[in-house]
Amino acid sequence: MNAKEVQVFINGKAYRAREGELLIDVARRNGIFIPSLCYEESLEPYGACRMCIVEIRNKGVKKRTATSCTLHVFDGLSVETDSEEVSRHRKVLLELYLAQAPNSSKLKELALRYGVSKTRFKQNTRYNDPLSNSCVLCGLCVRVCSEVMGAGVIGFIGRGEKTRINTPFFEKSDLCLGCKACAEMCPTGAIKFRDEGNIRIANSWSNTYVELKKCKMCGKYFAPSKLDEKIDSIYYYRDKNNELRDLCPDCRRKVITKRINLITENEVERYAK
Amino acid sequence: MDRQQIEEIIGKYKYPEGKILSILEDIQEVDRYLSKESLKMVSEALNVPLSKLFSIATFYSFFNLKPVGEHIITVCMGTACHVRGSAGLLNNLKNLLKVSENGVTEDGKFFLTTEDKHFSLNTARCFGCCSMAPVVKVDERIYGYVTVNDLPRILKEYGWKEDENR
Repeated sequence: MNAKEVQVFINGKAYRAREGELLIDVARRNGIFIPSLCYEESLEPYGACRMCIVEIRNKGVKKRTATSCTLHVFDGLSVETDSEEVSRHRKVLLELYLAQAPNSSKLKELALRYGVSKTRFKQNTRYNDPLSNSCVLCGLCVRVCSEVMGAGVIGFIGRGEKTRINTPFFEKSDLCLGCKACAEMCPTGAIKFRDEGNIRIANSWSNTYVELKKCKMCGKYFAPSKLDEKIDSIYYYRDKNNELRDLCPDCRRKVITKRINLITENEVERYAK
Repeated sequence: MDRQQIEEIIGKYKYPEGKILSILEDIQEVDRYLSKESLKMVSEALNVPLSKLFSIATFYSFFNLKPVGEHIITVCMGTACHVRGSAGLLNNLKNLLKVSENGVTEDGKFFLTTEDKHFSLNTARCFGCCSMAPVVKVDERIYGYVTVNDLPRILKEYGWKEDENR
């Protein structure tokens, strides 16, 4: 990749960037905080949560706002990340999000950062919601499940205010790998998993469960077996006794270290002769 | 619907992955609803996650996920029809067909089906023929200026039998 280097101005300061890069990447790389709920580097730009809006202030162009996670930079681009208008927009957005997901502590934290502690809007609370009334429907979990993991276990169901995320037909899914990528991604901490003995249960996804694999050395359950089948590592190919696959990360590290030490000892002996 | 029929429908399209909506429409035309099994078969045949198909099927109000009756009665609840008394028509139809609100699906879609699966009662916002308000649509035919007294006559055209105990 040989993209042209350009100069962008964020809050009046000049930064270097590659042409066509996303503005949010440039800003975060340089330590400028832009809040976002639906942005993730490994996924395609989505622009759903609108939290990352910035104001474009180029000379000769009318002042406008744009989401920085879909804004490709060009030479001379000048943006403000915390102007008055931007923070006004964000405050309203946060109020709306607080109404949509009144139960999320992560969201409340973010809202407090912008001085929003309560919402004017009607709070959306569902009885027995599997996502514990914390989901803002940013779609990260759905996208990571299909785009990155290639599993496609969950999807949006319905539309409008009744939209929710769950498995098809609200049934246990046998496609789930138990990788927890969805829970890891969730910006509001809505998705709950629970490990019980040798199974991992996804409480939020209609109690879908996967079996966990047991480490042969220490007996700890460490990873879902379905996920383990999918994973390939260079260590597995180099491993002649084929025992690394059945070990938990801790034991694996011990074994590898031991082997490396043995090799070096042999070599030392050989060189000594 | 069996696998062969579904494969026939899919075979009609050159790029079936981009024609999911059309495929689902075709299935619904035959079955009158999208069964879980047929959705699963489509998902396997096209290599599209079932969650995506389910999203599509729940997003569009056109698709039914539960079996529907042979004849679909749609009562217009638009402004003009409402003013001319469509709520009364709906209540009367509910009584005549002996369906209750229990049939409202989980996602809040209004779709009531009689026990013998002969009629399904449904509401719509507007058919674009407000001049004939109130309007009732049965299958593809639209009845205008409907009064409560007309309803038994319309239903009889579609094989409805009046209950003698009434």
